[in-house]
Amino acid sequence: MAMLEQLVTLPGALASFEFRGSGELLAYTIKEPTILDLDTLDLLAHMCAANMSIATMQARGWEKMTAMKGFYPVGQFTLVGFDWSVVVSGVRREIKKKAGEDYLPPFVGVVIANQKADYEAAFKALEATGEAE
Amino acid sequence: MSIVADLIEKPGVVAAGEYAYRGDRFSYRGALTEKYARMASIMCRATTMSANMESGMIASFRPNSGVQPVYGWMVRGPDYTVCVVANVFCLLDNEKGSVNHVFGFMRQALAHETMELI
Repeated sequence: MAMLEQLVTLPGALASFEFRGSGELLAYTIKEPTILDLDTLDLLAHMCAANMSIATMQARGWEKMTAMKGFYPVGQFTLVGFDWSVVVSGVRREIKKKAGEDYLPPFVGVVIANQKADYEAAFKALEATGEAE
Repeated sequence: MSIVADLIEKPGVVAAGEYAYRGDRFSYRGALTEKYARMASIMCRATTMSANMESGMIASFRPNSGVQPVYGWMVRGPDYTVCVVANVFCLLDNEKGSVNHVFGFMRQALAHETMELI
């Protein structure tokens, strides 16, 4: 939970959340309930899980077919909507995979207002969630 | 100059392209063969279409949620990021380029693109 509280300190952050690879929302912090509610976050988590899986398949296939490296494993997927963006990361999971651990932690994400969005800062903050463990 | 020609000049952009929403044509510049540029166009188009459908579902039960219309999306790997706004895509070297700069440029250049063709 401390990790989610830390993520909503990013400039423009509206919410942060954790979700399973199958999409279920596990934990969340909503900073701006007038913009995002639990139902929206729940559907967003499922949407992000689906897109992480598809992007991972595409990156894997792309690397195999083109011999271009550096796309897999997917670190983050970002959807940029009209007013806000959602950035989700699987970096924590990749660190555990590399360490040979069976248990994989949930994906983690943050929703940020587009006006203040700093995507590189969001990537860095999400990557730091893996390093902190 | 077209946005693709402008994009390929940005630091870190290794390839950039444009696809038709209906999937019958594409164009590109940069370090890709035509075969792989076509594949990249198809993957980007498919994800753009599904992201718009998914955000439409969110907006349908929460009007004015702020998600629609969707501007674009990004997928970031260890060395490269795929950036897509409307029907334009680029592959960006993470070390040599800035996502904030490139995506910001794409958003500004494509700010008036209509999503009606999706």
